[in-house]
Amino acid sequence: MPEPRAHLISRSGGPSSGGSPSSVAHLAGLSVTVQRTPVLRDLTMTVAPGEAVGLVGANGSGKSTLLRILATLLPPAAGAGWVLGARLGTRDVEGIRPGIALVGHTPALYPRLTLGENLAFYCRLTGSSVDAADAALATVGLGRASDRPADRCSHGMLRRAELARVLVTCPRLLLLDEAHAGLDRGSARLVGLVVDGVRGGGGGAVVVSHEPDRLAGTVDRVVEIENGALRSTDPSAAAGAEVRR
Amino acid sequence: MSPPRAGAPGPLEQALEITRKDLRLEARAGEALLVTAPFGAVALLLVPLAVGTDVPLLRSVGSGMYWVVVLLFGVLVTFRQSGVDAPPQVELLRLTGIHPAVQLLGRAGANAVLLLAFELAVLPVAVIVYDPPLHGWPWLLPVLPGVAIGLAVLGTLAGALTQGLAGRTTLGPLLVVPLALPLLLAATQSTEATRYGRTPWNWLALLALVDLVAALAVVLSARSLEEGS
Amino acid sequence: MRSLSRHLTTVAALAMAAGLVAALTAPPDQLQGNLQRLMYVHVPAAWLAYFSFAITFGASAGWLWKRTVRLDRLAAASAEVGVFFTGLTIVLGSVWGKPVWGVWWTWDPRLVTTALMFFVYLGYLALRRATADPTVRARRAAVFGVLAFAQVPVVHMSVIWWRALHQPPTVLKPGDPSIDHWMLAVLMLNVLAFTAVYAVLLRSRIRLAADEDAFEAAQDAATNDLAGAAVTAPDYGRKAGHGV
Repeated sequence: MPEPRAHLISRSGGPSSGGSPSSVAHLAGLSVTVQRTPVLRDLTMTVAPGEAVGLVGANGSGKSTLLRILATLLPPAAGAGWVLGARLGTRDVEGIRPGIALVGHTPALYPRLTLGENLAFYCRLTGSSVDAADAALATVGLGRASDRPADRCSHGMLRRAELARVLVTCPRLLLLDEAHAGLDRGSARLVGLVVDGVRGGGGGAVVVSHEPDRLAGTVDRVVEIENGALRSTDPSAAAGAEVRR
Repeated sequence: MSPPRAGAPGPLEQALEITRKDLRLEARAGEALLVTAPFGAVALLLVPLAVGTDVPLLRSVGSGMYWVVVLLFGVLVTFRQSGVDAPPQVELLRLTGIHPAVQLLGRAGANAVLLLAFELAVLPVAVIVYDPPLHGWPWLLPVLPGVAIGLAVLGTLAGALTQGLAGRTTLGPLLVVPLALPLLLAATQSTEATRYGRTPWNWLALLALVDLVAALAVVLSARSLEEGS
Repeated sequence: MRSLSRHLTTVAALAMAAGLVAALTAPPDQLQGNLQRLMYVHVPAAWLAYFSFAITFGASAGWLWKRTVRLDRLAAASAEVGVFFTGLTIVLGSVWGKPVWGVWWTWDPRLVTTALMFFVYLGYLALRRATADPTVRARRAAVFGVLAFAQVPVVHMSVIWWRALHQPPTVLKPGDPSIDHWMLAVLMLNVLAFTAVYAVLLRSRIRLAADEDAFEAAQDAATNDLAGAAVTAPDYGRKAGHGV
């Protein structure tokens, strides 16, 4: 999308411009250091409302770091970024955080609480209804496992439970790390369902996956992290690149 | 797909939710009452074996020993395993938008409840082994929670300072115990004052002051401790 | 300022020498005799200990406000030097106390608070050592630096109250206020000398920290590789095991 990008580059210098006012997330020339090691360098990316972006890249290339940046959990070392209208590295991000859902590759569930208790805790903390939690668990196929402690659930079950959490909160920015890892064939469509739900509400999604064929059906375009920055690929080329690696 | 929102909860409700979650996790793990309390009881039992079983001697040191055990072993309760949040859980809580001070105070609340339970569990052992004079016992009613709250808040703050560090279960108590000295003095001097028929109002005031300063420190530093780490 | 810094070590050495001479030539105490001369090192050491921790408190609060690296280095260096002076105070106090009171330790409130501060700042240094990431380390150390110093008056007050209930022994306390003018002058000279030594130690420690940071920054700049550059595609042609 050349035209909007040019428009954004000319405005990226302004402190309060927030990039394109309608974008869900916009990163301009962003650099990130983790433990004194540079991970991302001069990275530019935009997520428009209603858009799902696929993210691929080699191991250790910085995909998870990019997701954490978009989740406002890491401050940028250089460059600028805006997520949901708030500038990264400022206090404004605190207000928009409830609109972000991050599903990392390690589940964020308390091992000794049941799946139902985990979700109910999260619901009560954010003001969502607990009934919605039960409905979401049923949607992802865990309705009858709601009373099982998380440490006795398989990794795939935990990922499904996390997707149930996303269904409950209805975020405006969805970040999925290794989205298809651990999900069986029957529930692979779940990722698409959740992403479509967020898109339908005018939000955006960034989906990291190592399975290009599943990814191609879920997202609008695919970008690849290489040398700390992004380059756009079309989904079929990304599939080819993954196979070659 | 929009769920019926029950309305965003206020800070008090969020803090109570955190407290309830911590207490539930500890109820399933059982470390505080099933492991740390017996450990404290063993310590109380060891002292007469070391210094002599002379009854007047034990009567005079009994209440002091009890409070030392509460301080040294109680602080371990705040560094229990079930109270540790893994990094994904920390990130999830950050993304809920909960104010970091609210989160810490919720955690401190759970610590205070567990510490009070710990104190009550170890108290009978101290009474049985040392036979301390008990005629001032109503004053224990404000002192037990006062110490529990102070130790809980200091322990929560030290827990936040040592989050994610290796060896936090020894570093944390080292940070807490010297600063918790006023709690020890207030507790022991209250019981001693009642022995001589005096009312220990100034010691209770000191207890309240320490609790207040610690709570203030938590609230003021919570945000600085959270950002970007 | 630079000329001051250059001559600081010389000034400190001269001041210490002068203080030592003055301490040895000052009139001996009526009751304790020559033993009392330990006051000329014990009291300045105690003063510098509290002063160092006050500097740590100020630098920590300043860091929380301004976030400059220099303030973090200052706080850490001052805490280290402060721990040294606190240890010195306690040891000198014990050495002085044993012949005078017959015991190595006494429950004087100031001594108890000093001992407690020793452990508090050992904890501060342990916290710094345990945290690897420099920004996280600076932040947590700053919070603890402020908290620790803020709690010290409360701790000291509680120990004084406690001590008031148990009659202190009727012996001469070190630093008895009704002091001879000459002895007071010698004491002040030694305080100044110790302050100069503190400044020398502080400066060395800060320089060391700055050099360490510069070295790390140079290392980072030299490699300047992205984290992902260390990962390459697997080599499927290479046979595992014998012979490469």
